[in-house]
Amino acid sequence: MPREVLRLAVLGVSHPPANVWARRVVRPAALMAEIPPLERGALMTEQGEVRTYYMGDHAVVLHSGETSHYIDNLRAARPSLWVSCDGDTVRLVTADPYEGEAMASDPERIVEALAMPPAVAARIEAFIAAHHVEEVFHKRKRVPVNMDHDPRAKRILTDGEKWVQSRGKAGLPPKGGE
Amino acid sequence: MTASTAQAAPARPEHEVLRSQQWGLLASLLVAAPDRDTLDLLAGLTGDETALGQAYAVLARTAAEADAEDVAREFFELFVGVGRGELLPFASFYITGFLNERPLADLRHDLQLMGVERAAGRFEPEDHIASLSEIMAGLAVGDFDASVLGCGAAGEAGFFARHLAPWVGQFFDDLAVAPSARFYRAVAEVGRIFTDIEMRAFELEAAAHRGSGGRTV
Repeated sequence: MPREVLRLAVLGVSHPPANVWARRVVRPAALMAEIPPLERGALMTEQGEVRTYYMGDHAVVLHSGETSHYIDNLRAARPSLWVSCDGDTVRLVTADPYEGEAMASDPERIVEALAMPPAVAARIEAFIAAHHVEEVFHKRKRVPVNMDHDPRAKRILTDGEKWVQSRGKAGLPPKGGE
Repeated sequence: MTASTAQAAPARPEHEVLRSQQWGLLASLLVAAPDRDTLDLLAGLTGDETALGQAYAVLARTAAEADAEDVAREFFELFVGVGRGELLPFASFYITGFLNERPLADLRHDLQLMGVERAAGRFEPEDHIASLSEIMAGLAVGDFDASVLGCGAAGEAGFFARHLAPWVGQFFDDLAVAPSARFYRAVAEVGRIFTDIEMRAFELEAAAHRGSGGRTV
């Protein structure tokens, strides 16, 4: 299965706690397509009490089987990348909105949908153009019994009736051949 | 034709032993694809000018030219396949149009009476052509005894008439015209002629039995 790996820098913002019992929490706030020459966890700016940290760079893996999800993502009002963190550590950055929202169902995790940098959007569009296979949804319906059709299997199976995979991605000729 | 190497019990007449060996040959070719050694042995077969002899000569020539890997692929296409093979070599399928139907139940009942059961590690139902051929081979030399069967199926002839005669000719005809059959076309020819001879011999035997003072109904 073709896949492509992009690397993105994740910035986290930490606001001052709202009360004396709470502690500071770093939440992912922005993504950069270019990776800055910084250590993970480095303080980038401090504006009053609001601190911006560099949370390190992380891979975004694009899978050819999920191109339809990426299309849904790019068609949304704001194309996003979902960043999922355990504490300060970035665990997952994904362009698949359904995977991202599935991560958000875990209350232990911090999951943020951050605006997708235009450079990343362009690369995802190129990936979709290269690998997307349109699959039409086919609603199956019950067919009434037809007594003209003989339910018995054929005694001899001809070549044309043998099972071959003709639909779906695996039915396409291999890439790079011919 | 030359006999294969198996040694049978000395008490059996030679023609029964040869019949048993031919049933055994059919069984071994239809249960799995032959390897190179088996093909070499087959290539050494010779035949006289009778139809069966000619069929064996063709089988020997085909075996000599065949590649073991091609034969294995052919066996896969014919009897295994994806989903199903080109042929379904089961008595139940040929007699009723469906697998695992009453013919299989009848056969299992008869085998239970005869005290024959499926070997460990064989997963095909008992009405597979290879297992039926193997049973016929055993019946010919007296390894198995079908005299306990009732309802017109007693004895070797009765077993054949009940479980093989209705469909075996059709099966070998189908094997001969299956799209993937190359080596197995020669096997089908041998099987077709051999089972035809068997069928007529059993009928002759029955007719002779009726003629020689059997009850007239």
